[in-house]
Amino acid sequence: MNDTILKSITRIIVPFIQVYGVFIILHGHLSPGGGFSGGALIGTSLILFTLVFGVKKAKVKFSERVAEISGSAGIIIYVLVGIVGLVLAGSFLTNIEAGFPAGVAGTLMSAGMIPIIMIGIGIKVASTMITLFHTLVEEEVR
Amino acid sequence: MIEQLPIINLLLLLGTALIIPLFKKRPFQLSLTLCFLVLLTVLVSSVFLLIHVLEYGEFYYHFGNHENLIGIEFLIDAFSAFFTVFVAALVLVIYLYSWKDKTEGIENKEFGRYYILLFILLFSIFGILYSNDLFNTYVFIEILSITSCAIISIKRKKETYTAAFRYVMLNEIASMSYLLGVALIYMITGHLNLERVATSLQSIWPLYSTNIIIAIGFMTIGVGIKAAIFPFHIWLPDAHATAPSTSSAILSGIVVKIYILVLVKLLFRVFGMEIVEALHIKWIMLILGSAGMIMGSIFAIAQKDVKRMLGYSSVAQIGYIILGIGLFTEAGLQAAFFHIISHGIMKAALFLSVGVIIYYKHVQKLKDFEGIGYQMPISMTVFSFGALGMVGIPLTSGFISKFNLGIAVIDANLIFFLIIIILSGLLNVVYYFPIVISAFLKDNKEMQKIPHIEKVPNIMLIPILTLGVAIVVLGLFPNLIMDIIVSVVATLF
Repeated sequence: MNDTILKSITRIIVPFIQVYGVFIILHGHLSPGGGFSGGALIGTSLILFTLVFGVKKAKVKFSERVAEISGSAGIIIYVLVGIVGLVLAGSFLTNIEAGFPAGVAGTLMSAGMIPIIMIGIGIKVASTMITLFHTLVEEEVR
Repeated sequence: MIEQLPIINLLLLLGTALIIPLFKKRPFQLSLTLCFLVLLTVLVSSVFLLIHVLEYGEFYYHFGNHENLIGIEFLIDAFSAFFTVFVAALVLVIYLYSWKDKTEGIENKEFGRYYILLFILLFSIFGILYSNDLFNTYVFIEILSITSCAIISIKRKKETYTAAFRYVMLNEIASMSYLLGVALIYMITGHLNLERVATSLQSIWPLYSTNIIIAIGFMTIGVGIKAAIFPFHIWLPDAHATAPSTSSAILSGIVVKIYILVLVKLLFRVFGMEIVEALHIKWIMLILGSAGMIMGSIFAIAQKDVKRMLGYSSVAQIGYIILGIGLFTEAGLQAAFFHIISHGIMKAALFLSVGVIIYYKHVQKLKDFEGIGYQMPISMTVFSFGALGMVGIPLTSGFISKFNLGIAVIDANLIFFLIIIILSGLLNVVYYFPIVISAFLKDNKEMQKIPHIEKVPNIMLIPILTLGVAIVVLGLFPNLIMDIIVSVVATLF
């Protein structure tokens, strides 16, 4: 498929989708959405890229190795944050009591560890979505 | 510190699954050793927890220091601690075996992924056992069914895909009906924590009888499909026959039992004796259990493939466990729990020894087993011990569990089911003994000339020998675990 309109529009639109995804992830503790929805948005933007430019180019942007590492890293962030709670307050995933700053409710810098966890989930979901899509596409080629 | 052990167990298992993919460039031996160390640590800490719980009693673990009204809760009591030790020990043995069993259909590229799946599977099993919360149990059940589907379909073959597809479809139906049951319970009680649900059900169950009947129906059928209780067993033989031997051993020996334990938790901890008796669940379970015992064995007789036969035999043995639970007496539950352990060990021994034969001879049909005892004496001996245990010959652990079950049935004044137990034992003879006889006792001159060449790596033989020894040791000294099982059962009444 070689469609100039599609390609130019995808080039313009993908960064916006991704920024919106990051916005949703970072506002997970304030508004509806969070790690999963934001991560799904970022994943979708990469799927759109794959659909328009083909798997080969998409693999250059987001290779299997990167997907594997970021997939693991997403959960590792979550687990490490949980362990901080375990060490400091005696229970896995303890939030404010473990010393995470509570901040002012309603502002971006609040809710202690929740934003950090949301970032981890976002990375994991995005990389999982794109890996699943790549796997499905490649199965068909074979 | 000891209060943190359950979460440390879970994190170790999850962490290993996360770290394996990062190691890819390094030699694979490193991650194998790491996995072994992790499993060993988990086993040691589970044993430690069991000793602690038996001595000082149960304790709770609250995530994030939230109380159980809003938070997630783990309950570590004799029940969960004992079965986690069982799971960890059995998986350690199967894991050692899996080191060399690479050729059996798993591509080299997938081999690392196999261990990732194995560790996530273990993680979810530990989660199910510890969890004291209906919804978290659902989440872990979902992880468990997806990973078990994946370790079935890891061989890139057509039959495995068919089997895995059937498995995933039925298991999704089962998960959804379990979730619907949880939703109905939540609707009337407003809680998800097992203990809170149980206390509020005690007071309100006459008011919302329809809700509870529907909920209990959906939940038992959901868990029943996953546990392969008789009429819902159709996915099991295919899935267990086509999966790699290690997967079959894990699925048949452990995973299916976990769902039965979930059922036990639901019936005994959530609904309680009063509701169970009012709904005649006892009779449903007794009839389904005995139907499974008979029909599973009859289907097994007709099989030509040894792994399919073992799969159908699992259906029959699950019938024994369901029968024991269905008695709703302490003796029945003790017999059922002992059979969970002994069947886990025996089935693992059978699947792994068949796996050694498949590894070496590349045969899987029953007729190819003729005279194989001369060529592969060790694995065939272990297979014979497993078969004897399945039939229930004295000196094996299978005898003890059937004996206990028989006594429990007599205590409950249900002599009819004793006849079914004996009949099913005889049917087991019909399909297990011909294999042993044709492997060892066929008088065939040519076979005896072949020197015993058991060119199988030691690392595969040691695990199956361990399992074979365990069968006999449990048959001779059942009190090694029976004492613990008595205190496990005491937590449920």
